[in-house]
Amino acid sequence: MMLGEITLGHYLALSTLLFLVGLAGVLLRRSLLIVMMSLELLLNAANLALVAAARFKGIPDPQVAVFFVITVAAAEVAVGLAILVAIFRLKKTTSAEDFASLKF
Amino acid sequence: MEQFFFWSLAVGLLAAATSVVTLRNPVTNAVCLVVTLVFQAALFITLEATFLAAVQVIVYAGAVMVLFLFVIMLLDVKAEARRPIPWPKVAAVLVGAAAVVAGVPKLVAAFPAAREPLRWSAQSSTFGAKELGALLFTSYAPLFLATGVLLLVATIGVVVLCRRDPGS
Amino acid sequence: MIAYAPYLILLLPLLAAVAIRLFLYPFPRIAVPVSVGACLGSFLGSLMLLNAGTPAGGMAAPAVPWIELAGLKAGFSLVADPLARLMTTTVTGVALLVHIYSLGYLAKDPCRSRFFAELSLFVFSMLGIVFADNLITMFIFWELVGLSSYLLIGFWHQRPAAGAAANKAFLVNRIGDFGFILGILGAWSLFGTISFADLPSRAASGAPFWAATAVGLGLLCGCLGKSAQLPLHVWLPDSMEGPTPVSSLLHAATMVVAGVYMLIRVLPILELSWVTMNTIAWIGAVMTLLPALIACQQNDIKRILAYSTLSEIAYMVMAVGLNIPGPGMYHLVTHAFFKCLLFLAAGSAIHGCHEEQDIWKMGGLRKRMPFTFLVTWVGTLALAAIPPFSGFWSKDAIFAATYDRPGLAACSMAAGFFTSFFMLRMILVAFGGKPRSEGATHAHEGPPAMVVPMLCLAVLSVLGGILPISDFLGMKPDHPHHAWTLWLSLLLAVAGFFPAYHLYQGAMQDPLRVPILQAKFYVDEFYQRGLVAMQDGLGRLADAFEGWVVRGFLVRGSGVAARVAGQGLRLVQCGQVQLYAAVFILGALGVVGWLLGRVSS
Repeated sequence: MMLGEITLGHYLALSTLLFLVGLAGVLLRRSLLIVMMSLELLLNAANLALVAAARFKGIPDPQVAVFFVITVAAAEVAVGLAILVAIFRLKKTTSAEDFASLKF
Repeated sequence: MEQFFFWSLAVGLLAAATSVVTLRNPVTNAVCLVVTLVFQAALFITLEATFLAAVQVIVYAGAVMVLFLFVIMLLDVKAEARRPIPWPKVAAVLVGAAAVVAGVPKLVAAFPAAREPLRWSAQSSTFGAKELGALLFTSYAPLFLATGVLLLVATIGVVVLCRRDPGS
Repeated sequence: MIAYAPYLILLLPLLAAVAIRLFLYPFPRIAVPVSVGACLGSFLGSLMLLNAGTPAGGMAAPAVPWIELAGLKAGFSLVADPLARLMTTTVTGVALLVHIYSLGYLAKDPCRSRFFAELSLFVFSMLGIVFADNLITMFIFWELVGLSSYLLIGFWHQRPAAGAAANKAFLVNRIGDFGFILGILGAWSLFGTISFADLPSRAASGAPFWAATAVGLGLLCGCLGKSAQLPLHVWLPDSMEGPTPVSSLLHAATMVVAGVYMLIRVLPILELSWVTMNTIAWIGAVMTLLPALIACQQNDIKRILAYSTLSEIAYMVMAVGLNIPGPGMYHLVTHAFFKCLLFLAAGSAIHGCHEEQDIWKMGGLRKRMPFTFLVTWVGTLALAAIPPFSGFWSKDAIFAATYDRPGLAACSMAAGFFTSFFMLRMILVAFGGKPRSEGATHAHEGPPAMVVPMLCLAVLSVLGGILPISDFLGMKPDHPHHAWTLWLSLLLAVAGFFPAYHLYQGAMQDPLRVPILQAKFYVDEFYQRGLVAMQDGLGRLADAFEGWVVRGFLVRGSGVAARVAGQGLRLVQCGQVQLYAAVFILGALGVVGWLLGRVSS
């Protein structure tokens, strides 16, 4: 099945793998900057799945969704990085382990 | 032909993504992320979404990653120190990943429509700017306007968050 | 017209009581005759009723419907069968004599209107018990009689002893009434009726043995309380705190025998179980003996008579237990005569000695109050069952039924011996010898109002043996009469006089000292200790419950539980964002997996 024709399933599998890579990054890296980059990977995986669906179903609506996702991702990155900068100014570090002050 | 492009782009994509997650120097990571985004755009083109491929490169790779690099420079982030790999955490994640991967064939088998093959042809319907624009400004107009407001709010938020206190 | 007589008899005293209570308190000169007149009216009505109708038949006055539920019908109907007629005549007759006596005894008491009002209330309540045709109306009047007794015992309420005695009487009665109510409910559930007319037929159709026993014992409890039998007898001696007319009327002749009357009414139920009958008979037998023993060592004249009353009532109870209600009622009537007489004579002696009740402080009254001395002798001979006085005939009828029960015979005949003993002791000490106190030196007879009733009762005590009571009631006992019961009991009764004469003739102080008898077998102390122990135990139990369960488990426990839960939940907040994210992803994966499972199946 794998080496035959390329089907929607292939694209979905690829999207899943990309998602998992991004997930690993979010959960395992300590530097918050890298975590944010991994978040971008997650979003891209979703975009890939949407576009594949648009192509194989023949409807344009998922592509409009992708449009919105990219826009919102941009806004999210901007705000996220602004927060990161503000925290860095306060704590002089970007390591996730140093931000556990909401402990019990 | 479709197969060749798909497989090469897929491998590249995954390789770049893995580099983003594993390498230690933040600038290297950022550059690898750019590469990933470009591979992604190429995959969009294989799916005949040319407009979106362009948008991806311009907005994502062009603007968002530049923002990332600026912040790296601003914060003067050094490369992370080597540290022992936290095997328990890694093992947990790998196990979860394996479980998910095992579920994909199941999902695919449940949808017969997922077996349609990819064929490029001159008559393939490509959705260009015109079609997308038409949809965007009619059916999804409210969402479009909301997104505008969202961007405005994000801008204000960023400005407020990055203000230095007077006198510091 | 005659059919309404029971209502008239019943309600006249009530009207008098209400009238006095509402209007006539400040006017004793009007209140007293009103009360006496009402009692006279009731007595005349009872006499008329006595002669009307066939002797063995019954007669019911028209009924006033009251409770009519499914399965329970209780109306206000008054039954006028021979038993009721006999009882009402006795009650109203003795009550009339006591009313007249009280004219003299309480002539100078400022609260006498209240006394006569309460006395009329009592007559009304007692007649209610007599005329009641079902257990529930009887119970209502039962409680009213208890109330009247409480009011009358505590008549001189400024004296703390009187108040305490009134409380004790009421409370001990209440305990008996609790069993009584259970018995009534049991009777209703077992037989489907509480009307005395229907009971014989329903009971004859049989009932489960132990259920009938339980019901019988429950009803017996009511009798134990009201008639002061073991173990609820403790209130009667204390009730002597009331004025002497009260003691003579309520606690000798009428109220205390209400229990016996009730038992006779429900005899069909009691007969169903030999356990019940034996219990009644043995309680009766034991209670003839024990108070007689106690009376041998008492020094208050009224207390001696009170213990004698306990003993005599026990004879009636034993008669019920032996299933001879006829002789039981016979003794009830004769006892009313001579016991009332003895109390009135004691009252006369007390009044004459200026309110002195201790027999060791009297003395020499034989010469100063000869009439009282004479009637006391008459009463004593009747009480000791010496022929030809009335007490002999009635007691002999009861002794005759013990011919095949040696235990009962032994107890009751021994009681006769001791009865003679302590009565002669009382007479010798109170009336014989020289005066031993100021009051006794100046003793004098009472006014005519006190003398006349005593005279009437003396005559009745002598002649009362003639009355054909068992025949009148249709309850003649049908067992053979053995001569030995008669001779043995008579011998013991006469023999009792000799030791008393030997010990007390001319004595200045009591030569005998038997502490256990003086302390009344320590029953009161036992109850007191028991009550205290029970209260203490209950208190401790409540405290333990409150301490452990309420304070500890509920209050502190909920606090501890909240704290422990909080501390457990705290551990979830680790502060590390990536851990939160990991848990979140796991949850999401779980949901997705479940959805996939549903989709693919």
